Amino acid sequence: MHGKIMNASFDALVIGGGIAGGEAALNLANNGFKVLIVEKDLSIGGKMILLSKVFPTLDCSACITTPKVSEISRHPGITIFTGSEVKSISRKSETSFEAVVIKTPRYVIGEDCTGCQLCEQACPVLVHDQFQYNLVGRKAAYIPFSIASPRVAAIDIENCTLCGACEKVCPTKCIDFTQEEEEYCIDVKTVIIATGFNLFDPLKIPRYGYGTYKNIITSMQMERQLAPTRPFNTILRPGDGKVPDRIAYVLCTGSRDMTVGNPICSQICCMYSIKQAQLLMGALPMADVTIYYINIRSFGKGFEEFYDQAKGMGVNFVKGKIGKITENENGNLNLRYEDINENVVRESEHDLVVLSVGVLPNTDSKALFHDGDLKLDPFSFVDQADPLASPSKTSIDGVFVAGTATGPMDIPDSILSAGASSAEAISYLNRRL
Amino acid sequence: MEIEKGKTYKYLREKREVSQAAKDNLKQFIKIKKSILDALQESDLTIEQLTQKLNMPANEVVYYLMSLVKYGFVQTGAVDDMDAYFSYKLKK
Repeated sequence: MHGKIMNASFDALVIGGGIAGGEAALNLANNGFKVLIVEKDLSIGGKMILLSKVFPTLDCSACITTPKVSEISRHPGITIFTGSEVKSISRKSETSFEAVVIKTPRYVIGEDCTGCQLCEQACPVLVHDQFQYNLVGRKAAYIPFSIASPRVAAIDIENCTLCGACEKVCPTKCIDFTQEEEEYCIDVKTVIIATGFNLFDPLKIPRYGYGTYKNIITSMQMERQLAPTRPFNTILRPGDGKVPDRIAYVLCTGSRDMTVGNPICSQICCMYSIKQAQLLMGALPMADVTIYYINIRSFGKGFEEFYDQAKGMGVNFVKGKIGKITENENGNLNLRYEDINENVVRESEHDLVVLSVGVLPNTDSKALFHDGDLKLDPFSFVDQADPLASPSKTSIDGVFVAGTATGPMDIPDSILSAGASSAEAISYLNRRL
Repeated sequence: MEIEKGKTYKYLREKREVSQAAKDNLKQFIKIKKSILDALQESDLTIEQLTQKLNMPANEVVYYLMSLVKYGFVQTGAVDDMDAYFSYKLKK
């Protein structure tokens, strides 16, 4: 169901409005180029905007991201399409591409929405809140999350019962169920791929019991529990609402594991788990936190000191590979593991288990390019054609890559990568204009 | 049909059928919301007490109860002597 097909032209198309895409777009726009960001979610900010704090400084993640997304949103040189996806990109001439972008209806007139949330209060429907990683519900008429950008309501049409309650209470009459999908044909001179990464789905390791045992959560669910905009009033087990006091982290869940097809290190799990352990010790001073690891990889600036700080705070580090997790009648979990230092199999009981899930490639961008073959590396991340001399260059001239689309990396490296990508794109544009 | 601003849901109703899953989900939530709010009408309760009273899985009670906290129907009360379980009460 298409509405109208619209045409537009920009200097640069940035696919993905996470921290890397946003940074690249800002750099391009600050240099006078007209940029379009296409983001599939309803808000820009990517995964970073949902984090609690960042390692190793423990700065508030939202406090860093919010001013940045605000700057991106208000920049006159940047146009943002949220809830939109690039369908295809084909080369139009030596110096330009044509991108087809599909914008799905939000059923809300963004310019008129004040973010008052009256529609959300009136909506009678409750479904899982994907921005809280399903720990609580949200309405079918909803603001994605409190610091979303744009802070504009959206209607989840798949779950909406079309009762009209939201429309009746909307003070600006901005809810519009007549909106239809829009298709845009966009001329661009350069493309930056900043599609980020996917998180490993722990359902692929049934022996860990995720999904079956309700007191096993992912690190992103714990991240939400630790964030200021958290789903619960404190840290709780989702299985029964108990405040946990023996928490275990299972590192390398879906990383460095050939059995799930991902042999590489995700580079961030050790450090985000250590960060969460420190935050948990602040939130629950009486809790015991144990991290089960194969190797701790604290390779970045200040990382080793951060690891030492966690040990000093009392976080227990066990060099052990988890074989199986089972559940007791009281909802506690037994971890059966190989104690690598002692060479024995042991069991230990915890009341909450956090799976430190790894980073997987987002391969969506591969299918976008019709004419040129966008090469992926052996691990299905976007291949860097010249990683040492020109790290953002891809196999297609005029197409650059930024952030974790190239491989696992932390936030500072993503921002550096976005800087490199935008610098190369600016140089490319200047050569051709 | 003529589209009246503020009543555009009627326009989409003509064009699109609401799925049975969406209708069932709404019915279920209304029922569970009522049962939780009725139970808390009598006294403040912990999740464990609500689980027993409503004969519902504890994880579902957590999900729905926390959603009712989020939308301002319920508020968190005191924690027990073991600092393990909070009680929950109606928001007045």
